[in-house]
Amino acid sequence: MRRSSAYIPVSTAAALLVTSSTLFFVFTCPWLAEHVSLVFPPCVGIVFLFVMANFTMATFMDAGVFPRANEDEDKDDDFRAPLYKNVEVRGVQVRMKWCASCHFYRPPRCSHCSVCDHCVEDFDHHCPWVNNCIGRRNYRFFFLFLLSLSLHMVGVFSGGLLYVLDHLENLWELHATVTLVVMSVSGLFFIPVLGLACFHLVLVARGRTTNEQVTGKFQGGVNPFTRGCCHNVQFVLFSPIMPRYTGKLSDRLPIRIQPPFHQPESHKLTPVKSADNCVSSQTLPVKSLEEVDDPDSEGLTSPPPLPPKPDPVLLKNHLAALEESLLQSRAVMPLGHKMNPLLTSESPTKVLYQVPRDQIGPRISPLVPQEHASDPSLLQSENHAALQSGAPPVNSLTLNSRSLSLKHSNRRGAETLGPHPIQSVLSSRTGSLSYDSLLRSAEGVQRVGYQTPFLPMDMSLSRGPGAHNCSPVFMNISRHSPQHREPSPVRYDSLPKPIMSSIQERREPDEKDKPPLALGPDAGIYDTPNRHSLPHDFRGPSSRGPTPPAYGSREFLLSSAAYGYGSRSHLSSSSSSSLTRAPRTASSPLHFNRSLSPSIYHSLERQSQLPPSTFPSALPTSSYGPQKALAFIRGEERPQPEL
Amino acid sequence: MADFHNLQELRHSASLANKVFIQRDYTDGTICKFQTKFPSELDSRIERTLFEDTVKTLNNYYAEAEKIGGQSYLEGCLACLTVYLIFLCIETRYEKVLKKISRYIQEQNEKIYAPRGLLITDPIERGMRVIEISVYEDRGSSGSSSGSSTTSSSGR
Repeated sequence: MRRSSAYIPVSTAAALLVTSSTLFFVFTCPWLAEHVSLVFPPCVGIVFLFVMANFTMATFMDAGVFPRANEDEDKDDDFRAPLYKNVEVRGVQVRMKWCASCHFYRPPRCSHCSVCDHCVEDFDHHCPWVNNCIGRRNYRFFFLFLLSLSLHMVGVFSGGLLYVLDHLENLWELHATVTLVVMSVSGLFFIPVLGLACFHLVLVARGRTTNEQVTGKFQGGVNPFTRGCCHNVQFVLFSPIMPRYTGKLSDRLPIRIQPPFHQPESHKLTPVKSADNCVSSQTLPVKSLEEVDDPDSEGLTSPPPLPPKPDPVLLKNHLAALEESLLQSRAVMPLGHKMNPLLTSESPTKVLYQVPRDQIGPRISPLVPQEHASDPSLLQSENHAALQSGAPPVNSLTLNSRSLSLKHSNRRGAETLGPHPIQSVLSSRTGSLSYDSLLRSAEGVQRVGYQTPFLPMDMSLSRGPGAHNCSPVFMNISRHSPQHREPSPVRYDSLPKPIMSSIQERREPDEKDKPPLALGPDAGIYDTPNRHSLPHDFRGPSSRGPTPPAYGSREFLLSSAAYGYGSRSHLSSSSSSSLTRAPRTASSPLHFNRSLSPSIYHSLERQSQLPPSTFPSALPTSSYGPQKALAFIRGEERPQPEL
Repeated sequence: MADFHNLQELRHSASLANKVFIQRDYTDGTICKFQTKFPSELDSRIERTLFEDTVKTLNNYYAEAEKIGGQSYLEGCLACLTVYLIFLCIETRYEKVLKKISRYIQEQNEKIYAPRGLLITDPIERGMRVIEISVYEDRGSSGSSSGSSTTSSSGR
């Protein structure tokens, strides 16, 4: 409910318009009809009618108000979802901001009117003179109102001028006085109205809204919404007017939904198999993993029946996310060639240090709480990565297939290592990022060397001693637990199973980052997985050319957050699109990019201080804490006014 | 016992399990177009081709509604000439197409989606921002294994 004072401008405008015009018609037009032209008053009358019609439509027509979203449309926890979502409109990245009042991401060109408290499509401005928002549906009426009012004022002023010039000797007579008053009113308001009309003429020609012009959205860049001058005018004036969104619902016959439900054909054939392609190709690895771990399982050679899905939702989400990430990671595969020289390095532990960083992300981020479920997909992805990079795919398969079996043994074989690897890692800022990769990769390599079923890796593995390599590496992991930044000795925690499995699964993508960095099994077990779990595109916010919109998306965060790792990393290193919605002010992507590195390290530090016990649960809830901390950090560090 | 089992089977009912939202595709600007990407949640409920056909048909309808051409010019000029009183009398082309869309969605729901335990909501009710697909699960057949596939697939 608007304040009653909001009605003052519109009442004043309406009153002025109607009164002045009526006086003009009554007092001036008879003389004009007689002495100037018979056509003149009807023309002015028609224009006046047009003015009033447009004024009425601009005042009472719904501007294109979006109805508030239902609660079930907003599934994510507010605190976890990003404030902005990027979409690409005709090649230009446009930001969609989360509207806290209406509970949806505002479509491009949509804005929330604080006076009316609703989101309006193609929001232009809120006009106090018509007491209404000007948006998609009524912009043409407002525009035509301005043009026609300007024309009307010209007509009234010129008619009055003609009358006054003819009655100069008798200006105090009633008709003349009234005409003078009407002339002065129209003359007074003519300049602002004409100015506004010209302003909107320019806006229409350029295909911009007032909101965009005033906020300077397309000042330096290109406007993706323009269709050229002629088509812009055509669009404003002649595009079909769509019905209002918030009107009454049309009558519909109720639809009866009665089980049993049809199943898709593909689903009927293999009831347990999901339509996701990844699953079918991963059944074998699943089976092999299970057999490695469980001697009671069936032979590996038989076509494995799909295991009962303990958590189909998570698995499918995970696989879907992996699919996406695979598609993205494939673009980065050329960097995989770097893996080859690594294999020729002297020690097995160094081999994987130089794994390209960009191979990490997609495969790391969806870390499934279930070990078995995660392994096949990760195997799959790693195989893809390895294949495309030219490294023997068997390596990754080997590493992963052995990871589960070996993790327990490795954990038990703990011995202390000298602190120097830690310090060498600590010496570099980016060392923390490679810690995990080094750690994981080294671990995996060691594990492979420990049992050498696959020849390709034997070359590198043979250089390293067998069993004892594992334990030092492993110990490095445990030592570089949360306080990785501190040179003080790290505590030896025996890491829980999920962490260990995740460490091994993640080993490969590891870093092209800082190859010479010494091995530092990393405290950042908690940190670096997140960092490395980023898809490669996250990595360089400054390097985003065609930035895919999905990274900052809530859906992406949802799927990766479910596995406890990815979300944190997303928050730490993605652009502003990953800023959480709730109380944060968001900086523009450019601003955020420039300040990205400090925030990463800051967030990593904070993350590193988390107790290990919070990690292994890998439930969405457990990841919220660090995310909240991250968001809070970011909010504190860079308060910026909201646009 | 057998009677009780029969009673259970008779009392099959569906309950709302989940909602899938098909977002708008803004790559061509602010024209009304929905993404045809097949959501993973519907993997086990409906064939990909059917879903894509539905969304593509809807996109075509919306494109037809928003087309700036002869009829929209005529409507605009007529509206100006009649001082917009024409809007009280006749139905604009957009409104006609929206009615067609509504009928199409109704028909799709009856023929294709409801038998699969899905329900499409007209986007106009959501401000044309999303196509909302409600996913229903079979709640009433918990006792028998025949309904387990629908239960499990919609158990999200």
